[in-house]
Amino acid sequence: MKKIKLFNVSKRFGDLWAVKEVTLSILPSRITGFIGPNGAGKTTLFHLITGNLKPDSGKIFLEEEDITGLSPWKIAQKGIGRLFQDVRIFKNLSVLENVIVSLQERKFENPFWAWTNPFYTRKIKNIYAEEAMHWLEFVGLENEKNKYAFELSFGQQKLLSFARLMAGKYDVLLLDEPTAGVYPEMIKKIENLLRKIIEEEKKTVAIIEHNMSVILNLADWVYFMNEGKIAFFGRSDHVLFAKEVREIYVGI
Amino acid sequence: MNYLLHILIMIGIYSIVAYSLNLTTGFCGLISLSNAVFYGIGAYVYTLTAIHLNFSFIPSLIASLIITGIIAFLIAIPALRFRGDMFVIVTLSFQMIIFTILYNWVSLTRGPYGIPAIPRPLINISFKEVGLKLSINSLFEYLILILLINLVFLSLLFILYNSPFGLALKSMREDEKVSESLGKSVFRYFLYAFVITGIFTSAAGALYASYVTYIDPTSFTIEESIFHICILLIGGSGNIKGPFAGVIFMIILPEILRFMGIPDTIAPNVRQIIYGFLLVILMFLRPRGLAGEYEIK
Amino acid sequence: MGALFQLFINGLINGIIYSLLAIGFGIVYRTTRIFHIAYAGFYTLSAYLFFTFFKVLKLPFFISLILSLFSISVSGYLIERFVYLPFYEKKSSSGVIFIASLGIYIIIVNLIALIFGNEIKIILEGVQPSYSFYGIMLTRIQIIQALIGFILILIFSIMAKKSKIIKALWAMGDEPELLISLGLPFYNLRKLAFIISSFFVFTSSLLTVIDIGTNPHVGLPALLTSVVAVIIGGIDRLSGWILGSFTIALIQSLVIWKFSANWAPLATFLILILILLLRPQGIIGTKKRIEEI
Repeated sequence: MKKIKLFNVSKRFGDLWAVKEVTLSILPSRITGFIGPNGAGKTTLFHLITGNLKPDSGKIFLEEEDITGLSPWKIAQKGIGRLFQDVRIFKNLSVLENVIVSLQERKFENPFWAWTNPFYTRKIKNIYAEEAMHWLEFVGLENEKNKYAFELSFGQQKLLSFARLMAGKYDVLLLDEPTAGVYPEMIKKIENLLRKIIEEEKKTVAIIEHNMSVILNLADWVYFMNEGKIAFFGRSDHVLFAKEVREIYVGI
Repeated sequence: MNYLLHILIMIGIYSIVAYSLNLTTGFCGLISLSNAVFYGIGAYVYTLTAIHLNFSFIPSLIASLIITGIIAFLIAIPALRFRGDMFVIVTLSFQMIIFTILYNWVSLTRGPYGIPAIPRPLINISFKEVGLKLSINSLFEYLILILLINLVFLSLLFILYNSPFGLALKSMREDEKVSESLGKSVFRYFLYAFVITGIFTSAAGALYASYVTYIDPTSFTIEESIFHICILLIGGSGNIKGPFAGVIFMIILPEILRFMGIPDTIAPNVRQIIYGFLLVILMFLRPRGLAGEYEIK
Repeated sequence: MGALFQLFINGLINGIIYSLLAIGFGIVYRTTRIFHIAYAGFYTLSAYLFFTFFKVLKLPFFISLILSLFSISVSGYLIERFVYLPFYEKKSSSGVIFIASLGIYIIIVNLIALIFGNEIKIILEGVQPSYSFYGIMLTRIQIIQALIGFILILIFSIMAKKSKIIKALWAMGDEPELLISLGLPFYNLRKLAFIISSFFVFTSSLLTVIDIGTNPHVGLPALLTSVVAVIIGGIDRLSGWILGSFTIALIQSLVIWKFSANWAPLATFLILILILLLRPQGIIGTKKRIEEI
């Protein structure tokens, strides 16, 4: 239940302003949508929030805490989870291991812990496996748990990356095109999953999406980005009527 | 019989090398060319503390582990800022630098003249009134010692392979950026892995020095580093069977050639040519090596 | 002061030889992104090919020169055609190609050692005449090295500026797919890169070994020198490679003057690490714009 606030955040690549003086907030227990043409700076914005890029100016807050310029792993530890645009699962690990990596506690991910508790590693693995199964069931992949991740279909890989994200127990989820490249039934499945996430888990969710029906179905608020700036902000059922959006995005 | 014991001892020494390097190469996905540095410093620290400070086996070994650990740490800090080709180049640079130092710091290492007459291991344990004094001289006793040390070091490594730490490393090998997005500091975990590799490899170096009783810098050249990485590239890495297959193959192959009647003068070259061909063919057909899990990127 | 000046001149001549080496390595690395370790094998092979024609078969000097240059160029073609190209078509990762190249290097060097033995082979016997200018001693070979090297570098620099083919090679390094869609002979350009590379490794190898002789293991240090030169100068540009070459040659001279030749590798590789840490794009390289995530 944490919110993210951005103040005047800018990022420049050479002469190109990828993100220019963006101020916005992402509110808890809501789904905030980000739409806009390709190259509008949506993914860059996510990179800036997660620390994969450092802003040239401006501040980013998680609740009251300034997280501007922290390294990605520190920001993740503070509770911001992230789903990448291209499904990036750990291909040569098993489906189960993909989820375990995400949920295992950091204090146990340490050589000294392993050496001082040599007989506990197996036990903890079982505990984690059970927990991981819960998340595989959550996305409906429980029957694939022993496969290598690369053996899954593309849609299943997307589901796996959801399971991995959920297992991390983040407060804030940033989803970069969760339904891109997925067949229609899977889109429905992912939509339901997202609804489940927001209703059962009460997360703060931001979502970049090109599929407008997904946005209209799910998002409460929508930011429309163009050329690195926020061109429009409003309730999702208003967004399609906004002049700016129609001109640039819908083309009429 | 002695011949067989010698082979087993060499397998013992190199299995420590292979399983240590496995952590860096098979789990982190890093091709390091500075491994002979750790092997060499382990050997030199063991030798120098044994000769000049009269340390017995275990204190010498511990000194090797500590000093190599510090050096591995100092190498890792800059090296781990790079990946791919550049990581190879930076570790290779450290290999060249440390070799130059070993070769030219004559007052410490005797440089190219080498250090002869390294004492055989003397195990000297005393606890209150109970004391144990063992001198290891015969090949057989040596083999037992190496087996015991393998038992300790390989168990420590296997625990890591199967621990949450091992799984976290594997996830970084697959995709660092995603691992970071899950809250794991790639740099810190790789640092642990690299330093552990260094420390454990130095134990193999110390064993080697005390076994052959003579060392000089030419045993710790870039060629030795290439040999170490070849064990893992040919055998495979990222699991337990890969390095084992590598060590067996790389140590036994020369002996097979000897049995085939290839004269000793050309045998080393023939062996190397076989390694070379094998590398090319494996990279083409099976980049994960004979029995490995990790496919190099 | 005289000794320092002498070392400075020697450093410049070494810089010329290193530049040839760096061009040979750089042209492959820059245009195909292959880390050509077998280049070290080619360095050794060049020396032994010439040795075979000139000393074993006792052919005249220039005939030997032409025959060995031809053979090494063919080898460059062959390694691309039968090793790197299949890997490229299989879309192998750069690490895989790196190791395969290492394998080729091991094969070449050990074949040579198997045939010729490990001892040093001298190509030109006897003491070479030397000349003195204003207190600077130069051997005849050093003068030849400087002249031939300088001319080749000059010609190649002009070609890199003018020739469309060389420009296409550079474009290949940036956007290989673009080249194919533009209808340029992509595969032939790759082969050309290896042939040019073989030409330069041949000249630098020969200019060195007629002076000091050769053994099967001379290739690896030469490769490392060229790698360091290319990286510290900046991978993107020819001028960077040449600058890198002179930088290490002069630093080595300085180390020889202050300490001894034995410590030269330490200085070379320390510089490399420092450059990589402080200025990873090289001395005159330009920074890549968008970081990969």
